[in-house]
Amino acid sequence: MSILEVKGLRKSFGTVKAVEEISFSVDAGEVFTIIGPNGAGKTTTLEMIEGMLEPDSGTIVINGLTWDKNAEQIKYIIGVQPQSSALFELLTVQENLELFASFYPNSKQAAEVLEMINLTDHRGKRVKSLSGGQRQRLAIGLAMVSDPQIIFLDEPTTGLDPQARRNIWDIVLKLKGLGKTTILTTHYMEEAEKLSDRVCIVDQGRIVTLDTPAKLIDRLTKEREVRLFFQDGEQAAIDTEGVAKEQPTVVRTAREGSALKLWSVQPEETLYGIFGFTKERGYRVEQVSIREMSLEDVFIAFTGKEWRD
Amino acid sequence: MSKGKQLGKLFGAQIKMMFREKQVWFWNLFFPIILMVIFMVIFGGSGSSEFKAKVAVVKTSANATSDMLESYLRQVPVFEWKSDVPVSEEQADAWVKDKDVEAVIILPSSSESTTLELIVNKENEKSATTQAVRGILDQIIVQSNYAVSKVQPTFKLETKAISNGSEDLSYVDFLLTGMIALAVAQGGLFGMVDMVEMRRKGLLKRLRMTPVKMGLFGVAGMMVRFVLGIVQIIILSAIGVLGFGANLHLDFPTLIVGFLVGALAFNALGYLFSSFSKSIEAYMGMANIASFLMMFLSGIFFPTSGFPEWLVPVSQVLPLTYFVNGIRDGMVYGSGIATSDFWMGIGILGVWGVVAFGIGALIYRKGKVEVR
Repeated sequence: MSILEVKGLRKSFGTVKAVEEISFSVDAGEVFTIIGPNGAGKTTTLEMIEGMLEPDSGTIVINGLTWDKNAEQIKYIIGVQPQSSALFELLTVQENLELFASFYPNSKQAAEVLEMINLTDHRGKRVKSLSGGQRQRLAIGLAMVSDPQIIFLDEPTTGLDPQARRNIWDIVLKLKGLGKTTILTTHYMEEAEKLSDRVCIVDQGRIVTLDTPAKLIDRLTKEREVRLFFQDGEQAAIDTEGVAKEQPTVVRTAREGSALKLWSVQPEETLYGIFGFTKERGYRVEQVSIREMSLEDVFIAFTGKEWRD
Repeated sequence: MSKGKQLGKLFGAQIKMMFREKQVWFWNLFFPIILMVIFMVIFGGSGSSEFKAKVAVVKTSANATSDMLESYLRQVPVFEWKSDVPVSEEQADAWVKDKDVEAVIILPSSSESTTLELIVNKENEKSATTQAVRGILDQIIVQSNYAVSKVQPTFKLETKAISNGSEDLSYVDFLLTGMIALAVAQGGLFGMVDMVEMRRKGLLKRLRMTPVKMGLFGVAGMMVRFVLGIVQIIILSAIGVLGFGANLHLDFPTLIVGFLVGALAFNALGYLFSSFSKSIEAYMGMANIASFLMMFLSGIFFPTSGFPEWLVPVSQVLPLTYFVNGIRDGMVYGSGIATSDFWMGIGILGVWGVVAFGIGALIYRKGKVEVR
């Protein structure tokens, strides 16, 4: 059953069309990621769903409720972490949590949230003195303090170092474990791949494509890139390239010194043939790899544009 | 959670935020204290001492007239003598130039001469001290003239200082109550900078995403400001009374009404400024202009009665004028709640508050759509 239904959203700011046509639905318990470059319309879309912006047209239904009729009720079932991690700087971590908890009738205990966002040791610190990652975790904590059904995280990892990003991922996975529905925006492909049940790629205010990460990659192409590196110098690579070219599964090849690249529609089959040849000749293969397709490739394939972080 | 509990939580959070902010301590407590102490030291005297002028007398030759005048002068209580005996003219000139004395009086050089000369430093020609010394000398000359011509003056002037209520209103009391009004007013004018900061950081937006009523947040904030105002009144009063001998005649109903309405009105003005300030700097600039204009035009440091005529209407529209009057009614005159003047002032303050809040709220509501 879908907990969130978005149909035909549009929003312009003056002459700038921020969102042109966005429709999707999210099932309860899903982690749904909206990904796209800066200015794609991610935040605008999210703010319309959160009731902060009124769409020019389109409908938003959250758990059967709409903003114009049930604004109060919706506020009780959603939790929001805005892009600017809006926190009370002069209050401590615990005080921020307790203040937000007081807005809701069935809020979680601060201690429980602190545990989940891994800030128990810093609960007495004022927000002013927290690091970027800690602030972002607290902002997520504030979004979950009301024990909402749907949690919106707007670029929770932007600007954080890799370790801090991984800490945020842990929290998102814990939320998933609790059966919460999470709507996430990011412009890191890696993140979308790791966390999401489904990914919605947006560009210039429109949905480019929407599916599970694996299916998106699958749908993309059948060719996979295989790399081989030979220990016995260039000649081994040249000889092997000649054999590879004769294989029906290989589409094309490229060689650079003793490194050989080939694109195959059936990498296992291709490698089987190649290893038969190298064993016969006694060539030693130092490295073999089959490159994973990433969402980045998906984005490039669907939009024809380079991906920029 | 019930509304009451929520309000308590919001109040607790905001009071912590207020007192953890060093700027609040400086601008709302230390600054008014420093300003008040400076003004009291310069203009208020030490509380018990009265007006004194340091003078010297030059007697070029001893004769009946000069002897008589000197003996009169020596009895004037406000004169403080640099030397117990007459000095030479050169010495006196030097003293005046070095400002060792404020005035030198040169007695007539012979019994026939009737001219008394007063020498003051050019810089002080127009000062209040010079005026006072001149007045005293005039008085002595008039008296001497009567004595010489043996007439009884027909008219007599008797001056008695009064104020409504207390008999001993001093400049210190005036200044103390002025500073209290100014401090509370500035607390409101500058205090709403939080709103600008909260909007800039997205906190206002964040709160709107929760079910909390923004009105409740505002009420809690106002309660915090009342607490700050009460702290300001207590600290400033304590310094004024204990350090400078101010006399207070408290009338609590008057003080409470004046304080509450005034604090609300000035916070409403701050709220209005915050509604259209995009940055903290813009807000502070506006609050500073408003505060400085009113500080000098509303009779905080000096009574407005000395203003040139064209300036009086300006002073009469400013809210601080009425706020300081209300505070003085409640703190030094010990009356007011029953007078129509008091309620008139409160009414004008109230109008300022309601209008400012109304416009501010309108701008906030309109601005909500444009915020991206």
